[in-house]
Amino acid sequence: MDPLTGTLSAIVGATHVIARPSELIVYENDGLPGYHKLPRLFVAPGNREEAIAVVRALAASNAPFVARGAGTGLSAGSLADGIVMVGMQRMRRIIELDPVARFATVEPGVVNANLTKAAAPHGLHYAPDPSSQTACTIGGNVAENAGGPHCLKYGVTMNHILAATVVLPDGEVVRLEAPRDDEIGIDLLGAFVGSEGCFGIAVDVTVKLTPNPARICTMLADFMTVDGAAEAVSAIIAAGIVPAALELIDAGTIAAVEASIYAAGYPTDAAAALIVEVDGPIAGLDEDVAAVGRICRAAGARTVRSATDAAERARLWQGRKKAFGAMGRMSPNLVVQDAVVPRTKLAPVLRAIAEISARYRVTVCNVFHAGDGNLHPNIPYNASDPDEAARVHEACDEIMALCIAEGGTITGEHGVGLDKLPYMDALFTPDSLDAMCRLRSAFDPARRANPGKVVPIHRCKEWLAAPGVEA
Amino acid sequence: MTAAPRTLPGADLCVHCGFCLQACPTYLTLDDENDSPRGRIVLMKGLAAGTLSATDDAVGNHLDQCLGCRACETACPSGVPYGQLLEQTRAETATARPIGFLSRVVLATFAHPPLMAIAMAGARLLRALRITRLLARVPGRLGNLMATLEATRRGAAASYPPAPVTRARVAVLQGCVMEGLLAPVNRATERTLARNGYALCSAEGQQCCGALHAHAGDRETARALARANIAAFEQSGAAFVAVNSAGCGSAMKEYGHLLAGDAAWHDRAAAFGAQVRDVSELLAEAGPVPARGAAIKVAVDHPCHLMHGQRLSDPPARVLAAIGGIAATELPDAAQCCGSAGLYSLAQPALSQRILAPKLNGIGASGATIVATGNPGCMMHISAGLIRAGSDARALHPVELLDAAYATDHQADHQGGSR
Repeated sequence: MDPLTGTLSAIVGATHVIARPSELIVYENDGLPGYHKLPRLFVAPGNREEAIAVVRALAASNAPFVARGAGTGLSAGSLADGIVMVGMQRMRRIIELDPVARFATVEPGVVNANLTKAAAPHGLHYAPDPSSQTACTIGGNVAENAGGPHCLKYGVTMNHILAATVVLPDGEVVRLEAPRDDEIGIDLLGAFVGSEGCFGIAVDVTVKLTPNPARICTMLADFMTVDGAAEAVSAIIAAGIVPAALELIDAGTIAAVEASIYAAGYPTDAAAALIVEVDGPIAGLDEDVAAVGRICRAAGARTVRSATDAAERARLWQGRKKAFGAMGRMSPNLVVQDAVVPRTKLAPVLRAIAEISARYRVTVCNVFHAGDGNLHPNIPYNASDPDEAARVHEACDEIMALCIAEGGTITGEHGVGLDKLPYMDALFTPDSLDAMCRLRSAFDPARRANPGKVVPIHRCKEWLAAPGVEA
Repeated sequence: MTAAPRTLPGADLCVHCGFCLQACPTYLTLDDENDSPRGRIVLMKGLAAGTLSATDDAVGNHLDQCLGCRACETACPSGVPYGQLLEQTRAETATARPIGFLSRVVLATFAHPPLMAIAMAGARLLRALRITRLLARVPGRLGNLMATLEATRRGAAASYPPAPVTRARVAVLQGCVMEGLLAPVNRATERTLARNGYALCSAEGQQCCGALHAHAGDRETARALARANIAAFEQSGAAFVAVNSAGCGSAMKEYGHLLAGDAAWHDRAAAFGAQVRDVSELLAEAGPVPARGAAIKVAVDHPCHLMHGQRLSDPPARVLAAIGGIAATELPDAAQCCGSAGLYSLAQPALSQRILAPKLNGIGASGATIVATGNPGCMMHISAGLIRAGSDARALHPVELLDAAYATDHQADHQGGSR
């Protein structure tokens, strides 16, 4: 038996340690299909003290580990290849919710949407709303600096984290807080948010709660060309309007969603549709709604309609947010991509992606945060057909190269994890990668937290020079 | 050790997005993905592919711990037919991992009407002698069983005349537990349908629906029962089969799938399935005729096989909305299983109680005296929990509430009262 099993069982109880391979396989992958790595052990601490004791026990036996929230990540970032997986799902207590000072302190396993549900009676919500918000956890959101449709106006996870208590990989517990305006120094919390599990494990997180807007108007505009929809996106922002969300869904995505239980009434004969949401104080909102309508029609929209009640608004959003899951019905396998391009380049980039997909004979379904230029080209395919699988991967590489060449980047919100590792070299200089390695070493000198992810170590001089590190 | 690879149609639809996790009562109770829908799909795929062994107890336990509530299906954007995957897996691993003794006894009883009659008569005797009440709060399984029987106690119901026939001919599924222990619910079903203009006819030779057998992996018995029911209801000449048990209705609507491989029966089974209606669907279709009734505070819970299996939540709400006196609110976890789940409360008593606990808390916090839920298992399990917790609240079927309201109105209108 693995010697760690007994040690960890003594901390969290035997039922929360999994060592049998037949029970470990459910933890082989996260939300990104296609990657499978069997963990050495799975351990789920139930509270802060157990979490700290687990990390200390792992440090004492020099065991590398990966923390995992709900396993909804889309970059294979929480895979544990023969190492210990620390599952945070049991730590789902809301420790404090202060509706007056508008913050909440939560355990890392609290599900994003459950936090908003708890804040709702106070007219508040937690603003970052990844599409997986009904499943994903705050801890995972912090690790990935998660985005979401409403981050266009409200900012990403980083803009909503006030503090975190972190157990560093060596077992030391530190308190990281957002720097105040008059402080000079390193923003350690800023470094921690988005560190993809490489800097330690948060045992509690303090987040901002945002007042619900006085009024929300959700519009659906459909276009007979993708170009028209993409041009409308740029034009809306250029007109000085900051929508709460501005999402584009293309025909392939619409077909998948409309075939699902989350059918939202998107027009299935359109080439693309935009979901545009404007919110805020009642004054001035009607003018914004009218302007969005005018701009969309000028860009070629066939129809522009507004949700008439909360139920219709919820339906429009549910369709969008469940779109990735809905694509499961198209093929047994799915590539979920995440890249960013300058907003003004959306139309040409989407044209080029269409050209790439035609050339490699693959289906690309676009559903993305258009206002941020954050693309999600998804490719349903059948992995058991080696020829098709090869074409899909070549098309992916070409799409990534295209986005970089257009001045974009390789991930908007899903993180680098394992999936984007090969593209890091194309985006960053060796000096930049080296700086990342050094920052990582400051938090985790022994390099036991989520090894093998994010920074391609074969490009990192310092990493290779460190003693006793497995590649 | 492992068997030859089998196909598991529909399993490939799962893209592992995890949107099912928070819908799953056992995941929320046990905090392990092995006890979640997407985790169990991985296990079922492993069993089908032959990379996992059906004799692996750890794997078997995780599948046994599944309620089969199908809440994951209502959450799944990809349309994974989870309930079908589970039934197929249980059927195909039944040799390597036999159904438990207690469950086998119950299933055999349900499949044989004379045995069922004896069992039900015995249970009614215990209830009539008030032994069930006496022992309802004894700790352990005996007390639980007694509380579950005590939960079926009903007072005398008043009658009222039917409306003239304006609607279709309907035959009511009598069911096993319903007719055996909750016959007043069947009578209320018949009276409320007649009050709403339906013509009632009987279907001689009808049997247990076979849902429990299919869920447990005994598909052959389930198919035999399905054939008997199809024949019985066909000869009744009814346009619709009215079902007041959500679990039975869900299974009967899916007879086409159950008998998909049976060339002689498949078309008849599919046609039959299309005639099956939950009683609330028929009542909602007719309005239903409004009633004043007494003023009561009702907490609404959704039976899984109505909400997730049949995707129905509006018709029962319309039945309750037809009763003027009722103030109805949904329980906060109304869409989540109560832990009854067919034989589950027998096979997994401890886990079943853990799953029930938050629902009982919600009922207490709601201040309601009545929980409305349209399935015998849920009514009995929830009421038993309430009895054992010392609460006066009880779970009743929505048609019982409508029936009582019609009776109250009739009495008030025909006694020369203030109205």
